[in-house]
Amino acid sequence: MTFLKLARKNAWRKPLRSILLIICVGIAFLIYGLATSFVDGSQGTAGASEDVLGVMNAGGRPLTLPIAYLARIKAEPGVAAVSPVARLRGFVNTERNVMALSAVDPEQILAVNGKELGLTRHLIQSLNQGRDGVLIGRALASSQNWSVGDRITLTSFQPTRSDGGRNWRFDIKGIFDGESKSTDTYFAIGRFDYVNAARTQGKDRVDTFAVRPDPSVSPAELAARIDHLFANSSAPTRTQSEKQFLSAFLRQYADITLIVDLVVGAAFVTLLLIVINTMIFAVRERTFEIAVLKTLGFSNRKILTLILTETLFVFAIGGFTGLALAKLATIFAMPALGLVFSPFLALKATVLLLALGLMTGLLPAFNAMRTPIIKAFRTR
Amino acid sequence: MTQNSYIALEDGQKSYRIGGETIRIFSDLDLSISQGDFVAIMGPSGSGKSTLLNILAGIDTLDAGTLRINNQRIDRMGEAARSSWRAHNMGIVFQFYNLLPMLTAAENVALPLLLKPLLAAERRSRVANVLDLVGLKGREKQHPSVMSGGQQQRVGIARAIVSDPNLLLCDEPTGDLDRKSADEVMEILTFLNRDLGKTIIMVTHDPQAARSANRVLHLDKGQFIDNERAA
Repeated sequence: MTFLKLARKNAWRKPLRSILLIICVGIAFLIYGLATSFVDGSQGTAGASEDVLGVMNAGGRPLTLPIAYLARIKAEPGVAAVSPVARLRGFVNTERNVMALSAVDPEQILAVNGKELGLTRHLIQSLNQGRDGVLIGRALASSQNWSVGDRITLTSFQPTRSDGGRNWRFDIKGIFDGESKSTDTYFAIGRFDYVNAARTQGKDRVDTFAVRPDPSVSPAELAARIDHLFANSSAPTRTQSEKQFLSAFLRQYADITLIVDLVVGAAFVTLLLIVINTMIFAVRERTFEIAVLKTLGFSNRKILTLILTETLFVFAIGGFTGLALAKLATIFAMPALGLVFSPFLALKATVLLLALGLMTGLLPAFNAMRTPIIKAFRTR
Repeated sequence: MTQNSYIALEDGQKSYRIGGETIRIFSDLDLSISQGDFVAIMGPSGSGKSTLLNILAGIDTLDAGTLRINNQRIDRMGEAARSSWRAHNMGIVFQFYNLLPMLTAAENVALPLLLKPLLAAERRSRVANVLDLVGLKGREKQHPSVMSGGQQQRVGIARAIVSDPNLLLCDEPTGDLDRKSADEVMEILTFLNRDLGKTIIMVTHDPQAARSANRVLHLDKGQFIDNERAA
């Protein structure tokens, strides 16, 4: 017999009640795990870098910038590397099977974003072997069941090719994995020179310039200087980090993080009310037994610890089960969903689990602690 | 009052306020008990026996007066100190056993040992020894719900003595038992007093149970009215 065993037996004395509580906690943490995995993963913000800058048209995303800016950005002190990025959006086989390709300068993208995307010298050499070569992100490759050597056709929404068609054929030269699981790899990387030469619209214009600042330079300060360079031009720029860009981009549609926070908050408030209410009744039912324990010499602090341990027991089983299910969902979900269950999420959830467990147990525990033994004995 | 009493209550006063009215339970109550005594306290309902036992157990407090047990001023201790004192010096046997229903006999007995820094093997050994002593060897894994009243009370006694306290307080230990079971329980208490030297204070309505004690005190309206020392 140990203190933990006593707490466990107390928590388990009414199995149906305990199971329902555990399910309740489990569902709340499943929602939390999935929602946070979605925010962290599918939006790509978790894997997005604070250090890589994107130079875009200040007028908004649909507007482009002239390729001529490349030389001026490259010449700016503090710029370690810069690559043009032109996006080619289209579909493979059916219109619902959408994919995106970023057309870049291979050598420069290795220097700018190679670390974050998991690009290697070998991959870039492979990409340079043919003008119509592409590197495919691991998530995209898995979802389409593609492998190196496959020839694929991307049918673009825009632009059309100079031959009048919209079908772009590419050879898969390699697959990149991303620096971590939270890196967005649901896209392809192609060559800017090839895409730019073959397209009829937007020729010699780019969607963005990806810039790697020199380590000695503050990215925010460099961003301000780049924007200052083009402040009075016909196409002023807006420079921000990759992470800022992704967050701002998503906020155009909805504040996903706020929505997720509200859903998770509502789930946890409901959970707290249910569990606190149930625990108060569960402990009140045992007022007499708690008096017996106090008579045997259990101090108020021991009683407090006992009840908090019981609550934590319920939260631990329910919470970790919910999180485990969320983790399984991220493993088995389609790569396109991009759910990422990171170790940081697990740590955050564990802290939340402990905090909620303690908060929930405190009220009934204080009630039990403060009830005088003589008064408690009269409750029989 | 003898200077070397194991338990010494002097000028004890206790009253309760119920519905705006003060009800005096006892006043100027003196009690002296030597180490190794087996004292039965008898008296009609409302005479203050249970209140006195609660005060001796440290689960209720005096309004005035002093209470020393083994030369320690219990009346000056705070709640936490009294809890700790109970855990290390006292065992309590209840009329209705007060076993925790979800625990087995052995687990119930082991409860007081959770408050002591013992190894698991030492705990198991102590529990087995006391269950053997009260005649419940082989019933360690039974839950209270499948035990008779007499067996449950023996578990209660085992729980009271498992941490080897010097003092046992028994609140009507035979009050819920048939004669045969009551006699078995009293045999165990007598053994604990005579052979193991435990000091026992027992509140009872049962004259036959009181005969096992070597001293019987009668409490009525908050005062001891008669003392007799058995041969």
